[in-house]
Amino acid sequence: MKKLTVLLVAFFIAFAGTALAADKVLKIFIWSEYMDEVNMPKAFEKATGIKVKLDLYESNEEMLAKLQAGGVSLYDIVVPSDYIMPSMIKLKLLQPLDHSKIPNLKNLAPKFRNASFDPGNKYSVGWQWGTVGLMYRKDRIKDADAQSWSILFDPKKDPGPFCLLDSVREMMGITLRYLGHDFNSINPKELKAASDVLIRTKKRTSCLGFKGGVGGKNDVVANAAAAAIVYNGDAIQAMAEDPKHLGFVVPKEGSEIWLDSMCIPAKAPNPDAAHKWINWILEPKVGASLSNYNHFATPNQAAMPFLDKKDLANPGVWPTPEIMKTLQFTKDLGKDTRIVDQAWTMVKSH
Amino acid sequence: MRKLHPAVTLLAMVTLAFLYIPLLAVAIFSVNATRYGLAWRGFTLDWYVKLMHNEVILSAAWNSLALAVVSTVVATILGTALAIGMDRFPWTKKAGTTLDLFLHLPVVVPDIIFAAALVVAFGLLRMISSIFEPGLLDMIIAHITFQVSFVALVVRSRLASIGRDVEEAARDLFATTPYLLRRVLLPLLLPGIFAGAMLAFTLSLDDFVISFFTAGPDSQTLPLFIFAAVRRGVTPEIHALSTLVLLTTVLLIIGMERFTRK
Amino acid sequence: MLWILLFLVLPGLVLVVVSFATRGSYGQLEWSFTIENYKRLLGFSVFGWTADYIIILWRSVWVAFVTSLIAVILCYPLCFFICSRPKRTRYLWLMLVIIPFWTNMVIRTYAWFLILAPEFPPARLANLLGFIPPNTPLYPNAFAVYIGMVTIFLPFVALPLYSSVERLDWSLVEAAQDLYASKVRVFTQAILPQTMPGLSVGIILTFVPAMGMFVVPDLLGGAKYMLVGNLIEQQFGASRDWPFGAAVSMALMVLTMVSLYLYRRKHKDMEFV
Repeated sequence: MKKLTVLLVAFFIAFAGTALAADKVLKIFIWSEYMDEVNMPKAFEKATGIKVKLDLYESNEEMLAKLQAGGVSLYDIVVPSDYIMPSMIKLKLLQPLDHSKIPNLKNLAPKFRNASFDPGNKYSVGWQWGTVGLMYRKDRIKDADAQSWSILFDPKKDPGPFCLLDSVREMMGITLRYLGHDFNSINPKELKAASDVLIRTKKRTSCLGFKGGVGGKNDVVANAAAAAIVYNGDAIQAMAEDPKHLGFVVPKEGSEIWLDSMCIPAKAPNPDAAHKWINWILEPKVGASLSNYNHFATPNQAAMPFLDKKDLANPGVWPTPEIMKTLQFTKDLGKDTRIVDQAWTMVKSH
Repeated sequence: MRKLHPAVTLLAMVTLAFLYIPLLAVAIFSVNATRYGLAWRGFTLDWYVKLMHNEVILSAAWNSLALAVVSTVVATILGTALAIGMDRFPWTKKAGTTLDLFLHLPVVVPDIIFAAALVVAFGLLRMISSIFEPGLLDMIIAHITFQVSFVALVVRSRLASIGRDVEEAARDLFATTPYLLRRVLLPLLLPGIFAGAMLAFTLSLDDFVISFFTAGPDSQTLPLFIFAAVRRGVTPEIHALSTLVLLTTVLLIIGMERFTRK
Repeated sequence: MLWILLFLVLPGLVLVVVSFATRGSYGQLEWSFTIENYKRLLGFSVFGWTADYIIILWRSVWVAFVTSLIAVILCYPLCFFICSRPKRTRYLWLMLVIIPFWTNMVIRTYAWFLILAPEFPPARLANLLGFIPPNTPLYPNAFAVYIGMVTIFLPFVALPLYSSVERLDWSLVEAAQDLYASKVRVFTQAILPQTMPGLSVGIILTFVPAMGMFVVPDLLGGAKYMLVGNLIEQQFGASRDWPFGAAVSMALMVLTMVSLYLYRRKHKDMEFV
């Protein structure tokens, strides 16, 4: 009996010990493969002495669910997309930033200092922005065929095995665009039409299902899939290692442009460290190394001179004006998010 | 011993193969020197080496272990107490059957219902006190809850097989209850308690569903880690990790058997 | 006892209550009570009536049933085989069955990704037979889900069944054979009744958990073959609709209770474990 108590006490001490070291730890909740997960934390630790712990997610909704289930007091930094931030603010999941701790805020390009979803950077600082498009294997799909979303949605075309994106707003939005509707439509008839297309598509034997985040990209790289709907930076990252076989395009019917930002959850355990992280990321060289690694576009104007020239010239990373015209921001729908969610549950359950 | 129809033997072999071929495939590909695709490119232990340096995996393994040990210890104590209490206390028939029903609940109810209920309950409890954040504590509580039932059931069956004779004999010799418990009952029950503890330990180590719903950022366990990684894309490091887990399981079982054989 | 009460029964009750609540516009819990969640379950949604959720419930029951059936069919030969071995080696064969039983479910499931990959015989065979286009893996689909489920639950049936088969009185079987009974009758009249205790335990240990399974359908079925477990998981995850998830859990609970009740009626004097 005595031995047991000693054991139990030892365990509790061990737990307590880890809690004490808390102010030297920064907990980041972020999309997977969004930064150099090995070296960037090390660089930050070198610069500030604070250790970084990463937890990863594959979709905004997954992140929000975790925060709502209690994660709001477990993480110091989250990286939500633009459209979900108004909900998070309304749900009181985020805390306002202390600009005095972020002198590097001036490095942000002007257009990112007054975004519609967060004027004046009250809660967020831009991290990266990008698009969603089609990644495909050049040895299985012709470049010309990949220019339209119909390669996936048209039952008469057979692209080989393909993955759809496991992200409710983005996947529904793309399907809506394919049908010629608005990316952010809440019209039940249009949503039903889009759901029907998605259900028909997912039931085809060549559809490998819905993969979130980098799942689809990894499948294409591994040649388990011929095509997948992916985030542009993930695709460009992969293409850098295998340009002969991999291609990326934003199909002509249109797609999404998004901005991810760094935010601090309302009950973050170490907001001080969080502010340090945000300020550090905004340094020109750091911001550039981030973008050069993940091949997304940066909102950090001061970082531009240090960016990889190849990325700057790549329309996959920095879209041309023509492509920009086809891109829409995902809008926060407030109460109406519900109807899109219900359509999505229908798509997944049918 | 009997002569078997060859078809029966064949079917039995096929079934065993069915169980093992996937596991062997994982083991084989954990030493395949290729990152993608399934062509054999040579033997390598690179992936295992990478594994050892991966902090996330190591902390997940530690979490799994810590969780299993702590919850097993508490559950074994509670479960044994419960079993003895249920068996020896003069419950009324009705109370007895209700207790029996409750005891069996975690065993038969699909664990996802239990997990969902816990998520909601913890969510509400969180409003009262913040110690109920998703995390190791939540997971320990959840694991203990279902482990207690298993332990109690195992110990109870052992209790039944012991019978009352020894106890009555001890009472005849004027033994007091604490003495009875310590010197007579508990030693006899030990194999049962131990078996229950082993059962609880393995159930906790392997548990996925309940951990999935109650885990927090710091408390990822190995099964959770493997699941998330597999969804993102299977890599040889995962194969290496899985093979290690498999080997550990095999060793544990063999060790356990050897131990209980004596 | 208090523990079980606190952490098992109470959460259960909470779940029932929550299933009547509403999901707020941002996915938070709103305490306005309505039976809308149950109506949605039965198919009445803003998109018109769909039998989706009822289909999922039915599908889960069906998959659980088929899985149990296949597992039983495969386990009898296995148990007979093990019993036919000399007493000393029986132990080793049993270990072979026990080891997968203790092995992690996630690992055993994803291992099928490898076997069902496009380059290997099973997928190639399916391609030859015209079931799938070339160079496609043999998952995610219903077939893969069944394979995965059977793999997981085989030991659950094998172990209890084995304990019954071991105690089988073969003299009865021989007697039936001597009386020229057909093979089928030998089985149903002599073997089946004797092995009933182990068989029933095996079935109930498989059927009920199989209904609520979500790992296997998630990994091997993608979003293409959804079961109740996946639906519940989705509501507590990305869909952030706790009330609906609670309602679906209740439905699963009802199915569980019904199964257990039927089981209990058939085996009134059967002792659990």
